[in-house]
Amino acid sequence: MATHKVCMLGDFGVGKTSLVARYVRSTFSDKYLTTVGVKVDSKEVVLADGGALKLVLWDIAGRSALDAPSANYLRGASALLLVADGTREGSLTSALKLLMQSRSSLPDAFAVLAVNKLDLVARWEVAPATLAELRRSLPVFETSALSGAGVEQAFAEIAARLHA
Amino acid sequence: MIIDASLPAVVQAYLRAVLVDRAHLLLLSFSLGWELRAAHGDAAFYGLDVDAPDGARALQDLFTGLPLDHDQDIPFVELANGRSAHVHLVADGPGFHVLLIDAEDARSQQRAQQQLVHEAVISGQAKSKAIGTLKDIRSELERQRASLEEANALKNALIATLSHEFRTPLTSIFGYLHLVERRARLDATSEQALQAVRRSATYLFTLAENLLEYGRGEAGGGLLNPVEIDLDALLRDIEAMFVPLAEAKGIRFRASLVREDPAPPRLDDVKLRQVVINLLSNAVRYTAHGEVVLALDWHTQQLRIEVRDSGIGIAPEFIGSVFKPFNRGGQAGSKGAGLGLSIVRRLVDQMHGTLALESEPGRGTCFRIELPSAIALAPSAGADDAALRGRRVLVVDDDPDIAQLLEVLLSDLGFDVRLLDDAEAALDGAMREAPDILLVDVELPGMSGNAVVYQLRAQGYGGAIVTLSANASTDARDASLRAGANYYLTKPLELERFVATMRRAIAQGAKEPT
Repeated sequence: MATHKVCMLGDFGVGKTSLVARYVRSTFSDKYLTTVGVKVDSKEVVLADGGALKLVLWDIAGRSALDAPSANYLRGASALLLVADGTREGSLTSALKLLMQSRSSLPDAFAVLAVNKLDLVARWEVAPATLAELRRSLPVFETSALSGAGVEQAFAEIAARLHA
Repeated sequence: MIIDASLPAVVQAYLRAVLVDRAHLLLLSFSLGWELRAAHGDAAFYGLDVDAPDGARALQDLFTGLPLDHDQDIPFVELANGRSAHVHLVADGPGFHVLLIDAEDARSQQRAQQQLVHEAVISGQAKSKAIGTLKDIRSELERQRASLEEANALKNALIATLSHEFRTPLTSIFGYLHLVERRARLDATSEQALQAVRRSATYLFTLAENLLEYGRGEAGGGLLNPVEIDLDALLRDIEAMFVPLAEAKGIRFRASLVREDPAPPRLDDVKLRQVVINLLSNAVRYTAHGEVVLALDWHTQQLRIEVRDSGIGIAPEFIGSVFKPFNRGGQAGSKGAGLGLSIVRRLVDQMHGTLALESEPGRGTCFRIELPSAIALAPSAGADDAALRGRRVLVVDDDPDIAQLLEVLLSDLGFDVRLLDDAEAALDGAMREAPDILLVDVELPGMSGNAVVYQLRAQGYGGAIVTLSANASTDARDASLRAGANYYLTKPLELERFVATMRRAIAQGAKEPT
């Protein structure tokens, strides 16, 4: 079975660890525990055409910009799941900055943007028009690690693209 | 193997203890196909079972996408059992070694520091956002306030202009009416005509005065000009004004004065007359048969005014709204602008008085007003403030918002405030602490505030008690005073009245209920 490394990138507190927990273990905790270094999980995905692949998910400590250790973690990645927090507009800027910085070492990695915390949509600072504009450049998913909304779809998009 | 064998044995042992054992060094040697060839160290410490068929799968996943023929270094990897390790891959010809060094202590320290920083940043962002929202709300409120002030100023200017325009010709009408009544010999028809003119002129005069008062607004009308009131002169003027009007309608008008205090009351003469004239104008207007009675009673530094009529009365459902401006729903077929009672209420409040109303449809209406003499109420603002400072108030209210509001208001006045939220605690607290004022909500859950007051009085509690209730009816007020309260206030709180009551409660203690 083909195995692909997928790196979760985004500012701290946007919900990267929670998204992986929701996707891999179907669990959620509202307690914020900052990630130090990296945590690696994996999940086997069966695709619509019957094919299967394994996603190895690298949950990397949150950063607003790519420093040397984070860049080191990216080596060998096939895809990036950029994560932003809809209630913090600045985190979207960070996610896009991280994408641009990672392009130098990963020019071909497939990137998907997850704008998380959809359950708090009433407090979102990110305007719908901004996401509409971003969708022209990369796949964008509004997600909630709490409810699970959009989570499966975001990872499925990565799996489908890596399988193609 | 890991420590250089040429080193002295004791050094080797020491280095092993420091570098290998303490770091929980684990060395796993693999072929290029991830087939385990050798293991040194405690794999279980990292949650790895290297003897199981898929025991090294987690490590294999970790190096997905990375070349195995180059050295690799992945710091702070959280493993399946939650421990953190620095993981190194060392290429070695046809195979490679994976080296794990415990990083749990370093990770824990870093996590604790990082957690604090992140939480501080996140809460800082939330705080900035909240402040931004509050600023927006404040700007919007400022904008609305400016807009309202502009509209209000325009309205006041218009009303004031109109009122003054009314006053000038009315003064002339009254003057010439007086002249004609004194000099002319009138037949019955002319006399009736003149009475009609006087009646209408009086109505117009009251209306103009009310509009002027209304136009002044709350801010401009609140200042008092207390002077010694000549009660006999007041009674004479009132009789002169209303006896002809009552006679014209075929009803009796009686006015009486009881005076126990030798010194005259000190009150705002203009406001006092406006109150009496408004109440009597209403009484005469809505009474077709029977009588209208004015009773003035001056004792214990309080001027009590009672205006009673045998008119059409006010239905119970309208009692609560008759004091609102432009409200005429209370009395069927009523005439007038609907300003009179709202102005009476405002003037009484400004004079720190109380106002009670009893009415029965078809039987009549009775207004009772009590106005404290200015001397008794406030000898001087400074002395009052000093008198309040450090006085203890025990506030009993189960609604935390109201309790907090009361605490802020009372603290601002200089009181030392303690809050309680239930009746049992109030009973205990009041008896034990003997505060200067007990301020208790009537609608407490379980035992009511009135029951608390009653029980305290029944136990000989002698301190001043102020009750606070959402029920503005006279019955509710009387019930609370009967239970033993000295003062009764209604919600929503009217600040001026609240402050006046607190000052009075301190000045007079538990002497007399109001």
